[in-house]
Amino acid sequence: MTKNNDSTIQEKITTLDALVAWFDSDDFTLEIALDKFKEAETLAEEIERNLSSLKNDIEVVKQKFDQV
Amino acid sequence: MENTRNPLFTVSDFIALTNQTLEYAYPSVEVEGEVASFKINQDKYVFFDLKDGGGSIGCFMTVWQLRQPIEDGMKIIVTATPKLTQWGKFSLTVRALRPSGEGSLKKSFELLKAKLDKEGLFSAERKRALPALPQHIAVISSTQAAGYADFIKIINDRWGGLKVDVAHVQVQGTDAPDQIIRALKYFNEQETLPEVIVVIRGGGSADDLSAFNDELLVREIATSRVPTLVGVGHETDESLADLAADVRAATPSNAAQIIVPDRQEIIRSMRYRVQSVLPRTTQAIESKRVELGETLQRALDAVERQVLRADEQVVRLRQVLTQLDPHVILKRGYGLIRGEQKVGSHIEIETYRAIIRAKVEGYDKK
Repeated sequence: MTKNNDSTIQEKITTLDALVAWFDSDDFTLEIALDKFKEAETLAEEIERNLSSLKNDIEVVKQKFDQV
Repeated sequence: MENTRNPLFTVSDFIALTNQTLEYAYPSVEVEGEVASFKINQDKYVFFDLKDGGGSIGCFMTVWQLRQPIEDGMKIIVTATPKLTQWGKFSLTVRALRPSGEGSLKKSFELLKAKLDKEGLFSAERKRALPALPQHIAVISSTQAAGYADFIKIINDRWGGLKVDVAHVQVQGTDAPDQIIRALKYFNEQETLPEVIVVIRGGGSADDLSAFNDELLVREIATSRVPTLVGVGHETDESLADLAADVRAATPSNAAQIIVPDRQEIIRSMRYRVQSVLPRTTQAIESKRVELGETLQRALDAVERQVLRADEQVVRLRQVLTQLDPHVILKRGYGLIRGEQKVGSHIEIETYRAIIRAKVEGYDKK
């Protein structure tokens, strides 16, 4: 997957999953919930931008397969 | 005269010349007919006759060239070179054959399916899962085919950042299986392996799709190091390549849907998940608010209790004080004596209603 800001989209999605899971965990505290929410929202926007802008790299290989 | 006009050959030379002539005239022919007297000798050599209502030709080929099973009565098309053997027998040296007609195609399909199934090539235990978000895939297809165009359009719509290596091959005809096999080998031998090999071909007739029932191709798919996804034909079509693949797609478009997630779906799901934390936060705030309210109420209750207790204490003390008030005592009929209590002294006696002045006439201790 294309690297973006040093993290792949997969890594960012994993980070977002962890952020969202924190809200349901025993670590949840109201004091830092707002910061965590803002962080999740920003990351989600970033992933959305990355997902929307990424293009596939399609290349037909030069190898010919019609000859032995 | 006769001898000067007609060349004289030895038998061997004449056979050789005939073969040269045949090779020149028919380097490769396709002949359609019904199989008869099919047999395999020494597990290596295949012999059968190809016949129709008007004639019969002997055919020869090797077992490894026999890519689809046949049996007597099946209609087939052979790709062959005509040859006159050294014993003077005319035959076809077959390079390839394929079943012809729906009945034969189906029969051949069922024979090979049963054989490979018995070997376990289609068993569920052999199937490997495809990566959820592959970064590098290989596609084997004809780049001119509509199915390929559909596949590319859908992966471009659904996902991005994917490296796609494409092997352009024939996807129908006699050469198709070998070309696909070469492409499979090519991708399996790369230093950096793709995460999935996708083999796709759009819809077509049973004959068009028969390339995907080639035994060697099916085996190559089954033994691929890289997990395979095969999408051939329409939803109702079933090929042996489908069955041998790790994952079967109903169509090339379906293969694209399987191989990459839909970015719009991910975006929607992501938004939903981020918003889904709000109720938890709101609930936590509400819970804290209730907790705080309860704490305040408890404090207020405690203060009220203290005030009430103090009030009660004041009332009690007031009652005590009231009891001790001299006027109250006087009211009960007592009197208050002021002055020296000895005979002859003048004293003052205060009652509730009056102050009496008197002289002490007697004083006896009790």
